[in-house]
Amino acid sequence: MDRDRLRSEVKDLLVTGLRLQVPSTDIQDDVPIFGEGLGLDSIDALELVVLVEEQFRVSIPDEEVGRKALASVNALVDFIIAERPA
Amino acid sequence: MSTFAGKRVLVTGGSRGIGRATALAFARAGAAVGFNYSRTEDHTEAADTLAALRTEGVPAFASCADVGDGAAVVQLFTEVRAALGGSIDVLVNNAAIAQDAPLMMMKDESWDRVLDIDLRGPFLCCRAALRGMIAARWGRIVNVVSPAAFVGQEGAANYAAAKGGLVALTKSLAREVARFGITVNAVSPGLIGTRLVGEMQSERRKQIESQIPMGRLGTPEEIAAAVLFVASPAASYVTGSTVHVDGGLAMR
Repeated sequence: MDRDRLRSEVKDLLVTGLRLQVPSTDIQDDVPIFGEGLGLDSIDALELVVLVEEQFRVSIPDEEVGRKALASVNALVDFIIAERPA
Repeated sequence: MSTFAGKRVLVTGGSRGIGRATALAFARAGAAVGFNYSRTEDHTEAADTLAALRTEGVPAFASCADVGDGAAVVQLFTEVRAALGGSIDVLVNNAAIAQDAPLMMMKDESWDRVLDIDLRGPFLCCRAALRGMIAARWGRIVNVVSPAAFVGQEGAANYAAAKGGLVALTKSLAREVARFGITVNAVSPGLIGTRLVGEMQSERRKQIESQIPMGRLGTPEEIAAAVLFVASPAASYVTGSTVHVDGGLAMR
């Protein structure tokens, strides 16, 4: 799967999974997902962890990994490419 | 009564006492029920409880697993998910041990072992259960605590500290997962006619009994009824609470 398609899948997951009130095309690739960026907090992150693990078959086992993996759309795409099963 | 039809329940320490009564009550209410039991136990009790659960006509599963051991908990949840056909909807953290001694004379091992089973165990089980509950946007966690958490207990600082910690865990986790439709509550049994109480020194047992306003021990079934209530749809707005089922023992 190419990077652009994965990036758009991640954005769709953010919008539908977390019920965001913005179109997925408005989400910037490098804006922080949590905190100021999309207005999500560390508890919203729990649901995103579950959704990402399910959809992309990767594991985000703890806060340390999560903080890096969920830093931005681009960071999440990088993480999925590196970690998903071949 | 089939309040829990279609729900999957895991009761830790479910082979006897409060755990067994709770597992059976969930089965009678239509739930699929899994439980674990300790490797130090006589396995015939677990086999007997498993048979009693199956008599209720629901899927049931039992496994020997140490809740204080991270790898064992992960394996337990994998086995339960496979046996019951999906993630756990209701987790009852009931497994507990006591190793009493006055604090000045308490061995490191007694402190560590009690904290491992009674506090680390619920932490590990909650963590293992939450992904499925968040995905389902519904879940019930019930932690079995003790009056020791609220009023202290002579000769059992390890047990009281673990149970007090579990009350604080209950409230903290309740705040974390409320938005996902998951409630986290505690049930605090007073003096109940189970083996743990049977092993208590008779002098101390009599002393505690004399302090119970209702003047009698409770039954495991009376605790199970409270656990089922906080796990039921009727308790949908109850979270971070402790239900004291103790004949008035710990009221302040």
